[in-house]
Amino acid sequence: MKESIAEPGILVNLRSIPGLDQIEPGDAQWVLGAGVTVAQIEDHAGLRRAFPGLHEAAAEVASRQIRNVATLGGNLAQHSRCWYYRHRDIYCLKKGGDTCHAREGENKFHSIFSGNPCISPMVSSLAVILTALDATVVVQREGETVTLTMTDLYQRAWDNPTLHHSLDRSDLILRVEVPTRWSRSAYLQVAEKAAFDWATVSCAAAVRVADGRIQEGRVVLGSVAPVPYQVAAANRLLQGQTWSDALGGSVAERLLRDATPFAHNGHKVPIARALIQRALRHVS
Amino acid sequence: MPTWPEKRSVLGRRVRRADGPLKVTGAAKYTSDVQPAGCLYGMILRSKWPAARVTGIDLSEAVRSPGIKAAILVRDGERRVRYYGEELAAVAGTTKQACLDALRKITVRAQPLPFVVKEADGIQPDAPRVWDEAPNLSKPQVTERGQVDQAFAEAEVVVEGTYSTQVEIHHCLESHGNAAAWDGDELTVWSSTQGVFSVREGLAGNLGVDQSKVRVISEFMGGGFGSKFGPGVEGAIVARLAKQANAPVKLMLSRFEESLAVGNRPSSIQKVRLGATRAGKLVAYELDSYGTAGVGSGAATEGGGGGAEFPAPYIYTIPNTRVQHRGVALNAGAARAFRAPGHPQASFGIESILDELAVKLGLDPVELRLLNDPSEIRQREYRLGRDRFGWREKYRLPGSSPGPVKVGVGCAGATWGGGGGGTRAQAQINPDGSVEIRCGTQDLGTGTRTVMAMVAAEVFGLPPEAIRARLGDTAYPPSGGSGGSTTAASVSPAVYDACEKALAELQQQTGLEDVRGENWKPACRRLGLEPLVVSGQWQKGLSSSGVGGVQFAEVEVDTETGLVRVRKITCVQDCGLIVSRLTCESQVNGGIIMGIGYALYEDRVMDAGTGVVLNPNLETYKLPGIADIPEIDIVLVDMPERGVIGIGEPVTIPTASAIANAVANALGVRISSLPITPDKVLAALGQVKELTA
Repeated sequence: MKESIAEPGILVNLRSIPGLDQIEPGDAQWVLGAGVTVAQIEDHAGLRRAFPGLHEAAAEVASRQIRNVATLGGNLAQHSRCWYYRHRDIYCLKKGGDTCHAREGENKFHSIFSGNPCISPMVSSLAVILTALDATVVVQREGETVTLTMTDLYQRAWDNPTLHHSLDRSDLILRVEVPTRWSRSAYLQVAEKAAFDWATVSCAAAVRVADGRIQEGRVVLGSVAPVPYQVAAANRLLQGQTWSDALGGSVAERLLRDATPFAHNGHKVPIARALIQRALRHVS
Repeated sequence: MPTWPEKRSVLGRRVRRADGPLKVTGAAKYTSDVQPAGCLYGMILRSKWPAARVTGIDLSEAVRSPGIKAAILVRDGERRVRYYGEELAAVAGTTKQACLDALRKITVRAQPLPFVVKEADGIQPDAPRVWDEAPNLSKPQVTERGQVDQAFAEAEVVVEGTYSTQVEIHHCLESHGNAAAWDGDELTVWSSTQGVFSVREGLAGNLGVDQSKVRVISEFMGGGFGSKFGPGVEGAIVARLAKQANAPVKLMLSRFEESLAVGNRPSSIQKVRLGATRAGKLVAYELDSYGTAGVGSGAATEGGGGGAEFPAPYIYTIPNTRVQHRGVALNAGAARAFRAPGHPQASFGIESILDELAVKLGLDPVELRLLNDPSEIRQREYRLGRDRFGWREKYRLPGSSPGPVKVGVGCAGATWGGGGGGTRAQAQINPDGSVEIRCGTQDLGTGTRTVMAMVAAEVFGLPPEAIRARLGDTAYPPSGGSGGSTTAASVSPAVYDACEKALAELQQQTGLEDVRGENWKPACRRLGLEPLVVSGQWQKGLSSSGVGGVQFAEVEVDTETGLVRVRKITCVQDCGLIVSRLTCESQVNGGIIMGIGYALYEDRVMDAGTGVVLNPNLETYKLPGIADIPEIDIVLVDMPERGVIGIGEPVTIPTASAIANAVANALGVRISSLPITPDKVLAALGQVKELTA
């Protein structure tokens, strides 16, 4: 709205909806209301013990001042930060035009994977870790509630250049359910500045470890695709393995296999590779 | 010639900033806080085209828009616009929203023209011309000394490289802006400015009004860095809007506008060649450089370098030199003076190639500088700083630090002129003993108010907080603009002179020998009803110019992610007589932080396809934040015998060069273009090429 991209006629104050700001612990899953602030997630000791990666991701969001007011639902449903899309006088593919200016232009911060001609990436840190944790999102849709996987929540943005996520105009995120079955998780990002900057690449990992072996694992990248990016085949490589740098390397190679960098964002590939290694090493 | 007292009880001390409490409590009123009764908001309509012929602007709908009290064209008739963001029209209205709505109702008829916004594109012979009458690339400005070709032919070692620096935007915390109120034919303007008198002169000339009828006030202001000397287009606009509306109008630019039209530091692309003896003595130097100062560059402007030139080979004396500067005009906002104009660019080129030479010769970079730097002050500073920083323990051969996170160190030197002059001040001693010092200078946040109070306190034997320092008003005795690091060196002597004379006058009028300190109040009481008002002016001998400074940087570079983190900066800087130690150190901190921004983060990104600035906000135009700021160790070389010298500019010059040299030392390869971002680091390490080939 500040950049005159959206000019809604009516604004609804979601803060007046009761119960959206609750964090409810549970044995099988935790439930986080959509109105929970990013700072609440960052500060919650129990949540930090249960999902260290979620704490780490929350702590990297913007600045403390913003985290104090920004909500979980807002973070997940945020629009692209692409500097062409955000520019008041540029009409681009994402706004309904016919050109993605970034493809031939200044694409240092853009996607290296995309299912459509728009290459603005999904940049929510919380989406990246929640995808790794196999969280589900409960959405109010046309008088009923539906439950989406994190993959569902973004899937439509993969091939539709005008979308930022899969939500319809009347959809409202009510809460996020995070299963506790992942014993370990981590979130790492590289941003040019040490704080208050968008990730160039972010990476979340979650694993279940038993008897010294990884039973199951997830590795997800952010800021590299219009969706939180993961590859099932890469995740499968972790199954039943013990940790080694070579294992991390092969997961990274598989996950990054289809990367198609542009003129100015080739560095995202080695950064992603380093973060995948580090995140996996950390949790394994 | 007057001199500063040998024994000083206030000068050089750490004194709390005079206006600190006002600033942190919000009581200080900046221009953006000024709100005269009935004040309207002003807003500017800017060109959406990077280049166009504007054939008509229709204000009629805007004038009728609710809440709008004035609407003007910046210029009448057909006109060219040469960059995205150039001012076209303006409105004044009762609310910001009323202005925003009205701006949308202005229709502009324009014929878009081809444009060019990148240096490498702008120099092409077939590039669209920014100015019809001349090519974008100016004729070279060449200076040659000695026998350059022969010296290179005979040099035992030659190194060469290309180094580039980006366009940097000032981004003052307080944006550019003014509030204007007319009273008949007299105009009062509250201005966020570095020069109340230069704004008055500019406005009076622009409006065709006597200077005596214009008063400019800038009691508090939030930074200028060279971009706020004149009233600017926006200053003239707000005065015209206030006239037409017959009401006060305030017009502060938005952060978006700050990125477009109110100045920047020109870029540079420097091809450098350096010849030396095997021992490291410099014998030959050649520079072929070009850069852009936006629409202010190119053959159509005066001076050849087009605002993009800089001193070369900077602080070094080399017998044979050939230096060529050119400016390239682009469809982008014009450059303005920017903290040490030209010097950071100059420093980056020469200090980078010096370290290349050091590597080639296997010499310690500090030793190479000691061998070639003609300044005795910097020689002292290098020796002092080397020990303080622990250079000998920290310096390793390039790229030899173990592990994926590599550590490196670098150093660089700088010079600056500064100097004082052209300032008058007035001391008023009231019968109750209270003191007012008035001077028509301004405090950019550097501590001028504190400096004035401390000088007066020294003379009168009073605590600084007993002095009321008043500035930032053309009603006070005149002083120059606050630029070139001249304010402390201009104002301190003028205040000192006024206070010395006032002291003598007080002694004479009261017949008392000692009126200072605890005798002050009883003496002042003898003045009766009439305060003592005494004028003084800047005096030779109390200030000088020409400082040296050196900085050392220690960095760590993550070779897997390309991230650079600065661990430590050690700064050794002389600035003559230290007046206010605390605000002086604060200036050093600020200069170094700005240098870190130049080294690692800041970059105005122009889009070749659309001609706009792509990062017109502080989200994507990156400034260092608290988490990016390293340990900063400051050593001030006190040289009181030289008098007061400014420190604002020299301290920002060598920071980026020292950091770049430290990064090269860590990696064993050089990133030769600023800012040093992860993409460039990984590319230099061969990691990007390898994967995208």
